[in-house]
Amino acid sequence: MSESTNRILQVARHEYRAAVRSRALIILLAILVVATGFSVFIGATDYAAQLAEYDAYRAAAQAQGLTRIAPSPLAVLSLLRGAFEYLEIIGAIIAITLGYLSVSRERVSRTLPLLRSRPLTGTELAAGTFLGALAIFTTLIAATAVVGIVALGTIGNDWINPAQVLRLTLACVAALLYLSAFYCLGAIATAKAKMPANGLVIALGIWLLVVLVLPQIGDTLDADNQLPGGLFQALGLNHDGEVAVLTHFTGYEQVRTGIEEASLAKHFERFAFAMSDVKERYRPYGLPWLLNETRHDIGWLFAYTAVLFLGLRRTLTRQQPIPTGGNS
Amino acid sequence: MSEPVIELQGLQHRYDTDLVLRDVDLSIGEGEIFGFLGHNGAGKTTAMNILTTLLEPTGGTATICGYDVVTDRREVTRLIGYLPADVRMYGHMSAAENLEFLAKLSGVPDARAAARETLEYLGCADLAKRRVGTFSTGMRQRIGIAQAIVHRPHVLFLDEPTSGLDPMGVRQLRETVLQLNRDLGMTVFMNTHQLNEVSKVCTTIGVLNHGELIYNDSIEATMRRFPDEASLEDIYVRVGDLAS
Repeated sequence: MSESTNRILQVARHEYRAAVRSRALIILLAILVVATGFSVFIGATDYAAQLAEYDAYRAAAQAQGLTRIAPSPLAVLSLLRGAFEYLEIIGAIIAITLGYLSVSRERVSRTLPLLRSRPLTGTELAAGTFLGALAIFTTLIAATAVVGIVALGTIGNDWINPAQVLRLTLACVAALLYLSAFYCLGAIATAKAKMPANGLVIALGIWLLVVLVLPQIGDTLDADNQLPGGLFQALGLNHDGEVAVLTHFTGYEQVRTGIEEASLAKHFERFAFAMSDVKERYRPYGLPWLLNETRHDIGWLFAYTAVLFLGLRRTLTRQQPIPTGGNS
Repeated sequence: MSEPVIELQGLQHRYDTDLVLRDVDLSIGEGEIFGFLGHNGAGKTTAMNILTTLLEPTGGTATICGYDVVTDRREVTRLIGYLPADVRMYGHMSAAENLEFLAKLSGVPDARAAARETLEYLGCADLAKRRVGTFSTGMRQRIGIAQAIVHRPHVLFLDEPTSGLDPMGVRQLRETVLQLNRDLGMTVFMNTHQLNEVSKVCTTIGVLNHGELIYNDSIEATMRRFPDEASLEDIYVRVGDLAS
């Protein structure tokens, strides 16, 4: 292992240990896991009843010797919708808090110069703190996923298959990118602000805009959302028909899409919902088609996270000691 | 003079429009204990921040063992140890954990052993497992020095190391500095106001006045040059008077 990698791992380990000692963070994590567990529990209970009904129908159809049996309309992964929504909202707050804690801890104890007086570059420091945060998010997402999968299997009586595990894993990777971006945002805002708490407020303001306001505006302007159950479904139009109609409103759609694409949360939501069968129109398709259809969203997620990471690196590299550190 | 370990050439630093270091030329040899004197706001800490790579100068150059503090930052940080005026450490960690973490960042192969040996060397092995957040000023200062030397640096920078220490703490620190210089051959660069300490510890001094180096010589030569002055304090005042 190179010296540089070793230093990055040391910083990451230090970051991880410091974070898990934070009571506020542990409480937030516990809230997220409990909320997820509860949401999946409620959904899975209802799902078990629906599954039993379908199984009874299939058994009856087979007993009558029918050759054409309707496929199950149920999609077990869609029960994780609540989990992804919690990750999208509460997870982003946790990520911002973690970024805030990470930088404010160094600022309050004034330990950043201590690190900078060692053979540690700004890139290594940024990569180490980022990696530490990533480890925390991996723990968080893995815990959430395990709670969800076990609840689906034990309460919903439907254990997910390997193909579904793969899609869920991809959705979790997207969640990692999404949370990492908010971590960087929290850390940058805290490092840039005169008072660390101001940075937290600014980051939460951006969170409000990106996670709640912009997607809401985008949804409100969405033509399909103008009728309960969907405008295009009411008009009897499939996906191709929807595309054909929207070609007559390209200017309007471009503005609406632009607003939605400014929201990191929307990209995460689109990708995660496509992977977890939440959107019915995606259900008939296989993974390659889904990946192709959502490549734009995963690209934006990568781009947002990369830009914010570079911002974090730049911020940590340029942090200078306060001129009056001693007497002059 | 022995081979220069620290060399400043035309070093300048400006905060916005305020020029706090003005063309400072200075050369400090191997194994010396250098006392950097000056009034509050003279530019001592700024000079130290530059030498410890925390701040980039706005003009001139500074080198440690021939390595430029800006362009060869990594090499320089391997060679130096730094004790800031306000000792910094991770309060939630024990003394040994703090040392071990910093030793690992400095690339020390067996960081745990280095941390233990350093604490033993400074006579504070009993503090190893205690959380540093609960430490007194004196204890923090000792752990601060341990942090600065855990990777066995070639040059040790101490910024106002005696501030806030009681007389026993000051004496202990003085003995530690002399011990590090004698046993480990460390060159020491010390910012201080304590003229009494300078006369007991330092081999050479420099006086900074409003960012300008107005005096630089060995303690012996200084005493010879100002035979009529009773103490270093008197000499310091005299040098200041001469400069103005």
